[in-house]
Amino acid sequence: MVVDPEGRAPVRIGVLSAEHVHAPTYISLLASMPGAHLVGVWDDDRQRAAAAAEPVATRAFDAIEALLERVDGVVIASANSRHLRLVEIAAGAGVHILCEKPLATTVEDARAIVDACARAGVRLMTAFPTRWNPAARALESAVRSGALGTPVFLEGVNTGTMPDIHAAWFVDPVLAGGGAVTDHVVHLADLFRWILRSEVVEVYAVANRILQERFAGVETGGLVSMRFASGVSATIDCSWSKPRSYPTWGGLSVQAVGTGGAFGIDAFRQRLAVYGTRETGISWPTWGPDADREMLAEFVSMVRDDREPAVTGVDGLRAVEIVDAAYRSIAASAPVSLG
Amino acid sequence: MADGGGPGLHAGSRAVSDMRPARARTDTPLRVGVVGAGFIGETHVAAWAAEGVQAVIHDVDAGRAAALADRHGARVAESLDELFGAVDVVDVCSPTHHHAGVAIAAARPGRHVNCEKPMARTLADAEAMLAAARDAGVRLFVAHVVRFFPEYVAARAAVLAGAIGEPAVLRLTRASFRPRQPAGHWFFDHAKSGGIVLDLMIHDLDYARWIAGDVVAVHCRSASLAQPDAGVDHAVAILTHRSGAISHVSASWGYAPPIFRTALEIAGSHGLIEQDSTTTAPVTPSLLAGAAGGGLTGIADTGLAGDPFRLELAEFAKAIRDGSEARIGAADGLEALRIALAADASARTGAVVRLTQAAG
Repeated sequence: MVVDPEGRAPVRIGVLSAEHVHAPTYISLLASMPGAHLVGVWDDDRQRAAAAAEPVATRAFDAIEALLERVDGVVIASANSRHLRLVEIAAGAGVHILCEKPLATTVEDARAIVDACARAGVRLMTAFPTRWNPAARALESAVRSGALGTPVFLEGVNTGTMPDIHAAWFVDPVLAGGGAVTDHVVHLADLFRWILRSEVVEVYAVANRILQERFAGVETGGLVSMRFASGVSATIDCSWSKPRSYPTWGGLSVQAVGTGGAFGIDAFRQRLAVYGTRETGISWPTWGPDADREMLAEFVSMVRDDREPAVTGVDGLRAVEIVDAAYRSIAASAPVSLG
Repeated sequence: MADGGGPGLHAGSRAVSDMRPARARTDTPLRVGVVGAGFIGETHVAAWAAEGVQAVIHDVDAGRAAALADRHGARVAESLDELFGAVDVVDVCSPTHHHAGVAIAAARPGRHVNCEKPMARTLADAEAMLAAARDAGVRLFVAHVVRFFPEYVAARAAVLAGAIGEPAVLRLTRASFRPRQPAGHWFFDHAKSGGIVLDLMIHDLDYARWIAGDVVAVHCRSASLAQPDAGVDHAVAILTHRSGAISHVSASWGYAPPIFRTALEIAGSHGLIEQDSTTTAPVTPSLLAGAAGGGLTGIADTGLAGDPFRLELAEFAKAIRDGSEARIGAADGLEALRIALAADASARTGAVVRLTQAAG
């Protein structure tokens, strides 16, 4: 436990499920976060809970109720389709929630998650760390300050390796809710909504299953085009197009064009190029600021102050609606409207 | 490299490309006339000169033709007929909406034609050009110069060599500043130029087809940067290829001078190709003298790896001389135009345009 710099009682945080690849990162950051006390980890797989708790010597809980009665807030890091059930349990226990993205695999589930938290009177935050990435914030500032003039087009790229290297459920159509479109549209869709302060009204999307040695379980390639109520257009390349040989997991970049010129960001450009042995190959460790830490600090602060988080559950719901529209467009081979 | 037989070539190009030169000239240098003394006309005159060909120049603005001729020590033809009488090949560098008229007029008396991209302003014009070339038995080329840029050639060679397996997702980018033509210039008149989609994006529409094959559906969104007569300054097309591959093609005149950035990414079933002009420039001068904001229009750096304009014109000249194929035929130019017009229509209506090629 690390004491709050202002001497206040630490906010007690638990982690529900370590299924997601981000869980170990969150656990490690929470264990050392000023003002937070990581109470422990629960997972329906005891071994996974123990393995996740061990590196920071926190407690692995067998009973979810036992953890929930000891915390003020939880981070839910299960497979996408299991978010709703865990949200309902946590909200029922009166605990504030940070839920991993995407909020759910269907619009219905996402809405049920938002409603369950509203009914229970608990705060719900969606894990969109990109909003704390300094490059993304610089773009938001360039738009807010007027430096970019009136934005007219945003082109986003959030491509990566196929995440089955982390956990098999990522490429399971039921547990994950889909493939590359589910996995990689929401970060940029949320970032664009935030930058533009506008909602998506139309979506066109295409997808295929050629990448990753023609993996056929879910879509691996996807391109999404969207139009906002403000008139701005945007696109997202969400493909799992990085091969296993790529020096890092992937990346996130945006080229924004407005009446004042253009503004490019590459969220993970601050990296080293490390050339190892033939076996270790080339890697690109990043040295830029840690957006996950800032996001978790916001969650802890939000729980302590009992206020609306910077990224709400409704933001998570809106992103799921955009993903849903993308799948509807893929099925219809035509643009679909939204909202 | 004159394979022309990649995934993008159509049976339709056979009719023209099988034609042998109307007059074989293997011994004497090719005589070339350039119609249009604007930006691309001058680029071609210079490239022809570097290839040892002193072009004859014609422009409806005689003063402009004379000025260009003076800069390159070339001759001027006062009329098209005078030009046609003096050359073997007519290189059409006039405004887009005049391409068909000049090309057809040149083909009729038996002149081979090299036409700057886009092939024409309308499909009907492009088809008439193909028919005229076929009827006259002359060669017709469309100058999609990106097929001669070494990085694009190298990427295609890697694809053909199987380095990344089957192409799946392509992302092609061409970003520059708004050409510094005066207001009212034909370039900014959509009815004449076709705007950014027909002028700039068509480079990558053709390249996408060269890599991933025929396109069956086109969706495009575009935006204007609010200058009163600007037309469209930024556009992104999403293509679905018959193979199942998908392409994201972006064209912009929304950046600040002097940038001209090109980027390509070809993701395949077994690998990935990345190339970005901002990270592969072999020379990065930062000189105080002459620090300025770019020229009339953005143009890719062509200096160090071989001038693509020279490579292009030399390949066309060789094809005319020996009857060989060039890597791009007139039918390819027609298909690129078909995709571009579909993108332009989609940008206006918001609907997806489905394509059925003449040659299937």
